[in-house]
Amino acid sequence: MCAVCVLALGAAITASLLFGTRAVSAVTVWQALTHPDAADPGQQVVTGLRVPRTIIGIIAGAILGLAGTLSQGVSRNPLADPGLLGMSAGASLAVVVAIAFCGITSPAGYIWFAFVGTAVAASLVFSIGRGQPARVALAGAALTALFTPLIGLILLRNTDAFNQYRFWAMGSLTGRDLSAVSAVWPFAVLGVLLALGMVNRLNLLALGDDVARSLGQRVGFTHAVSGISLILLCGVATALAGPLALIGLVVPHAARRLVGHDYRWIGPLSLVLGSTLLLGADTIGRLVVPNTELEAGVVTAFLGAPILIAIARSRRVAGL
Amino acid sequence: MTGWRRVAGGTGCSADGHVPALRLSALRAGARHRAILVAGLCVAGVVGLAFTALLLGATSLPATRVVATLFGGGDPGEQLIVLGLRAPRIAAALLAGVGFAMAGATFQSLLHNPLASPDILGISGGASLGALVCLLVLGATGPLVALGAFAGAMGVAFVIWAVAWNRGLHGIRFVLVGVGVAYLCGALVGWLIASANVRVALSAFQWTVGSVADVRGDSLGLLTVGTAVCAGWVLVRSRMLRPLVLGDDRARSLGVRVNAARGELLGAAVLLVALATSVTGPISFIALCAPAIARRLVGHGSAAVGTAGVIGAALTLAADVAGQFAIPGLVAPVGIVTGILGAPYVLWLLARTDRRGPQ
Repeated sequence: MCAVCVLALGAAITASLLFGTRAVSAVTVWQALTHPDAADPGQQVVTGLRVPRTIIGIIAGAILGLAGTLSQGVSRNPLADPGLLGMSAGASLAVVVAIAFCGITSPAGYIWFAFVGTAVAASLVFSIGRGQPARVALAGAALTALFTPLIGLILLRNTDAFNQYRFWAMGSLTGRDLSAVSAVWPFAVLGVLLALGMVNRLNLLALGDDVARSLGQRVGFTHAVSGISLILLCGVATALAGPLALIGLVVPHAARRLVGHDYRWIGPLSLVLGSTLLLGADTIGRLVVPNTELEAGVVTAFLGAPILIAIARSRRVAGL
Repeated sequence: MTGWRRVAGGTGCSADGHVPALRLSALRAGARHRAILVAGLCVAGVVGLAFTALLLGATSLPATRVVATLFGGGDPGEQLIVLGLRAPRIAAALLAGVGFAMAGATFQSLLHNPLASPDILGISGGASLGALVCLLVLGATGPLVALGAFAGAMGVAFVIWAVAWNRGLHGIRFVLVGVGVAYLCGALVGWLIASANVRVALSAFQWTVGSVADVRGDSLGLLTVGTAVCAGWVLVRSRMLRPLVLGDDRARSLGVRVNAARGELLGAAVLLVALATSVTGPISFIALCAPAIARRLVGHGSAAVGTAGVIGAALTLAADVAGQFAIPGLVAPVGIVTGILGAPYVLWLLARTDRRGPQ
C-alpha cells in the first residue's frame, strides 16, 4: 500500500514537471534536469518555474499532511487542522498587516509575516487550550473569529490591500522561488523530526490522556513538543504556499483508511499523501482552464472535499 | 462543558447515588425558576438596549419625542428617523441574532459538538456563495441577492443532509461532511472574489462580512414572519433535545424517534440560519457564542435554546450599536464587531476556567 502511495507521488512529481500552460516536450524536461542549458527557452520554463514550484509543492504538501496528523492525534479531534486551530487566520492577519501597513507587495516578502503570524496564533491557542482537546479547538475557533473580522476591517478600508490579499488568500504555489525554501528549510526539518518523534507517543495518547499517563507517558511533554512541531510545520507551509485549505484535514483521514490506526504508519504516510495531493492539485489547476491557471488552493478544495466526504460517509467513520 | 460540570457537581445526590423524589422535583423547579429569571433579565436587557439604540443616531432626538413617535405622534421628519431608519435596523439585528443563536444552540446540542455552527458546517459559506454568484456572475442586486443567498444556504444544507444520511444521521459524519462542503464553498468564494474586477469584488466582500444597515421593507417583513415561525417551532420541539443529548441509544429507549426528531430540529435550525443570512449576510460568532453563554447560565436542554435566542438578540444589537457609535468616525458593520467583541470573551472564559480547577 505504501509502495503504491510512493509511486503516486512519483507520478505527481513527473506530471508537475511535464505539464503546464506552455507545452514543453518530455525530452526538453529531461535535458533541463540532466544537462541544463540556460539559453533554451523551454528549459528555462522547466528550471525557472516548474522545478521550484514542484519542490515547494512537495515540501508544503508533506508538511501540511504531517501537521494535520499531529494536530488530530494530539487533540483527539477529527476536525483539528491548521485552519481550525486558528493558525491560518493568524497568518492571514499578519500578511494583511504586511500589505496594508508595511507596504510589502510580493509573495516572497510575506514569508516571515506568515510564519510569525502562524506561530503567534498557535502559541496563543495552545497556551489557552492547555492541551485539552475541546478547549484547544474552542480557542482556535475563537481566535479565528477574532482575526477574521480584523482582516475584514482592514481590507474594507484599503482597496489596494484587498486587491493583493485576495490572491494570496486562495493559496498558491506560483510566484515563489527557491530562495523561499532556503530561508525556511531548517524550521521544516526540525518540525518534521519532532513530529516523527512523537508518533509513537500518539498511539498511547489515542487511549486518552489518563490512560497514557498511567502507562508512564509524560503527557505534558508530548503536548509541548507536538505544539512546537505544529508551530514550525504550519508556519513553514503557510509561508511557502499561503493558507491551503483541507490538506491537513483530509490527509490524516485518508492515511488512517489506508494503514489503520497506528500513528507510526500514519505519520510517514501523511507526508507522502500530502505532497501527492498538493502537487496533483497544482498540476490539474494548470490544465483545466485553457491559457490560464486555477490556483492550487481552489483545486485542493475540489479534490479534498469529496475525499473527506467519502471518508465521512464510510461505515468506519473515524473514531479517534 | 462547564454546564455539565455544574449539573454533575450540583445535583445534591446522596452518597449512595440515590436521589429522593422530593428533592428531584425541588431541583427541577429550581432549574425552571433559574431559567425564567435568566430569560427575564435578558429580555429586560434587550428592551433597554433597543430603547438606547432608538435614541442614538446622527440626529439627536430627546427621549420624549422618540416615545411619542413610537406611539404614533411626531412630525414626518421624526417618523422617518425613528420608524423608517432606526427601528428597522434594530428589529433586523434582534431577529438575526435570535435566528443565528437558536440555530447554533440546536446544532451544538444535536451534533454533540460545542463548535458546530453555521460557519463551520458550511451553511454560511453556501449563503455567501449563492449571494456572490448573483452579485459577480449574474450581476444582480437587491432582493435577488438575498434569494441567491437563501438558495445557497438551503442547497448546501440539502447536499450535506443527502450525503451524510446513511441509515441515520450521525453527528460526526454530519459535521465532517459539513466541513468539507464549507471548504469547497470557501474556495469558490475566494476564487470568485479573486477573479472579479476589484471594485465589484470589494462590494461582494462587503456582503460576506454581514450587516444590518440596509434591512427594511419586504425583506424585514419576511425575516420577521420566518424567524417567528421557525423559532417558535424550534422552541416547541426542543423538548426532544434533552433525551437526544443523552445519546442515540438512550433517547431511543426513552421512546424518541431519534432520526425523525433530529432531522426535524436540524431542518428548522437550517431554515432559521438561511433566513437570517440571506437578509443580513453571515454575521459571525453569534451562533457559536450565544449558546455557550446560555449553557453556562441555565444548563442544557430546551431552556438553553430559548435563552440562547434572547442572548443572541442582545449581543447582535449591542454589537451593531457599538459598531456605529463606539469609535467616532469609524463605522464598522455588525459582522465585524461581533467577532472582535465576542471572541475575547470566549478566550477569557477559557483562560479563567483553566485556572479554577485541575480539569
